[in-house]
Amino acid sequence: MSEATFFLLTFILYILAAVCYFVFLFSKKEGSAKAGFTLAFLGLLLHTLALILRTVESGHAPFTNMYESLSFLAWSSVLAYLIIEWKYRVRRAGAYFLLIVIAFMALASSPLMPKEAAPLVPALQSYWLWLHVSVTLIGEAFFAVAFITSIMYLRAEAREKRGRMSGTGPSAEKLDSISYLAVAVGFPLFTLGGLVFGMAWAYKAWGSYWSWDPKEVWSLITWFVFALYLHTRIVMGWKGRRSAVIAIIGFLAAMFTYFGVNYLLSSLHSYV
Amino acid sequence: MKALFHFFTSVRLAIVLLIIIIIASVLGTLIPQGRSAEEYLVRYGQLGGILERLRFTRLYQSFWYISLLASLGLNIVVCTLTRLTPKIRRGFRPLVEADPKNIQALKIKERFRLTVEPGAAKEAVKKELARRRYRIKESTSEGRISLLARKRVFGWFGSDIVHMGLLVILTGGVVSGLFGLKQSLSFVENQTLPVLEANFSIRLDRFITEYYPNGSVRDWKSDLTVIEAGRPVRQKTIEVNHPLTHQGYVFYQSGYGWDWQNPTLQIWAKKSSDPSYLRKLSVKVGEKVALEEENLKVSAVRFLPDFVLDEKRQPGTRSLEPNNPAAFIEGWKGEERIFSGWIFARYPDFSRLHGAKEPDLSFELKDTKAPQYSVIQISKDPGVPFIWVGCSLLMAGLFLAFYWPTREVRLVIEESGGKSEVTAGGISAKSQEAFRQEFSDLMSAARKTT
Repeated sequence: MSEATFFLLTFILYILAAVCYFVFLFSKKEGSAKAGFTLAFLGLLLHTLALILRTVESGHAPFTNMYESLSFLAWSSVLAYLIIEWKYRVRRAGAYFLLIVIAFMALASSPLMPKEAAPLVPALQSYWLWLHVSVTLIGEAFFAVAFITSIMYLRAEAREKRGRMSGTGPSAEKLDSISYLAVAVGFPLFTLGGLVFGMAWAYKAWGSYWSWDPKEVWSLITWFVFALYLHTRIVMGWKGRRSAVIAIIGFLAAMFTYFGVNYLLSSLHSYV
Repeated sequence: MKALFHFFTSVRLAIVLLIIIIIASVLGTLIPQGRSAEEYLVRYGQLGGILERLRFTRLYQSFWYISLLASLGLNIVVCTLTRLTPKIRRGFRPLVEADPKNIQALKIKERFRLTVEPGAAKEAVKKELARRRYRIKESTSEGRISLLARKRVFGWFGSDIVHMGLLVILTGGVVSGLFGLKQSLSFVENQTLPVLEANFSIRLDRFITEYYPNGSVRDWKSDLTVIEAGRPVRQKTIEVNHPLTHQGYVFYQSGYGWDWQNPTLQIWAKKSSDPSYLRKLSVKVGEKVALEEENLKVSAVRFLPDFVLDEKRQPGTRSLEPNNPAAFIEGWKGEERIFSGWIFARYPDFSRLHGAKEPDLSFELKDTKAPQYSVIQISKDPGVPFIWVGCSLLMAGLFLAFYWPTREVRLVIEESGGKSEVTAGGISAKSQEAFRQEFSDLMSAARKTT
């Protein structure tokens, strides 16, 4: 079977997992959430195979164009989510989170994204490609988890304010602390992959570690937003609504760094 | 006044600065940087001048943006220093004694009674703590036993190490800005060029472009020789991502190009009356070559690698890539010019020769060759070591702060009627959720042992 087949099967499994999680939202039966988790996990395994096949077929890291990197981002998002769910039991987040994953997968398979494995341009021929892109995207995947749990927090908080208990769903407080945990895992990874490895590679390839290129500035902006999140929270004791809003802005900034800069601003960094 | 001083040494200032820097940086990416005044005028009209005066058009080099970063750096210094001394004391020489009232004020806490006397209760609790890898300090006063149990104390200093790392990175940025050198050199093969402010020069021995089977570029490689006092001292092939470092100077393969001032053109002459007639001419721009039996001389007057007609219908070149090579040729019989016109390598049908007195002859531009030059970027940046040291500190600090969270448990055991009254509380700046779990496990285990 080819990489495309594995990719398609993965996509189907993620959709089925999302369906199970949505059934869980309404039926509140643990069983369907567990089915969702299992399907997402199977999807992750097939996805891993797809990425390995892609690497073998193309002979280089599986994130050198938009299709590949979106697929890798979807993979790391599922990984990040499954880790968080397994450790902290936030099953209701599954339905919403898989929507993001499906969006990544759908974008990756859209006809706008060229899928052929092109040979690597000279600037990308470096082991830094592996380090820089994979660690950054895994960090961003944890920001995606924080994004979803923060949105859920805002809804849960509004519900609790109106005096209704959140039913079987996690309490607002729990969502808030899970958002923080996701940021706490993602932030060091994003710093390492996006900024530190990015600077190291830029120095190796272009001769300067920092050139104020829009992609660089936007990853710095993303980093500053999450630094703001951490300082307001740890030092000034902000929690809840304000923290959630900053985490949401942070993820949107990360996504703008990833997509927006390529399509809207002119950048040195025009590979992916 | 005191309030003002307080603000300038507070984290609140850091937060205000972060917000301003974020907004300014966003604007800096939306406004194209470093363009000409005319371009801004076209793009923004009147606003263009204002943006330029406020330095939004060269934001990241502007005084005010750099001042913002410097203020943030200064704030980090002040905030870290004012917190560091008490933090070190608390980290290495902590006060073990505690007041049950203060413990009761903690978020994570528990109070329970054990049916043994305090000495035995203490041992039981200590055993449970040690099992979870806590290091324990104890002190007894006024019949009250205080225990301080902690683990991963180093995690506590993570944020300080992060901040030191950031300061070292900022210092590196300043050093780069003040003392960094940059130069871009274009070499043709066998050319030797001196390096700015250095006592050596660089010779390009060979430059090659490697291609993939589909025709796209695989790599550019330059064989460089370092020459000191006229003698070659070092040789290395550099390619993209693999620079050469010599005496603190780093040489990068940054680009390539063709010297289109000196191309050699392959021109084929054909005759419509005689399909077997073919003469291959090799012409340099500015030269005339003879087409013997026709008693004709052909000269190449001009060459354009990427032919295009501009608004005034004048020929020009769109780029320096050979996308649409075209040559202007002339035919001479003695002193008389008998034809002239453009011929195109990619579009032979578009070739037009004017005033042709030899309508039987046609010319095709088959191939164009120009000496290729290699563009080499040279940089000497004494700020770089600071950056790597700073980044290492930054990462070590972040991993300590987030993946090595300090946990602290304080217990006070008091005697009441031969039994023990235990007050316990826990502090963990990060990973509250996990700590809460561990704390409650610990407490229930402590209760069970007695």
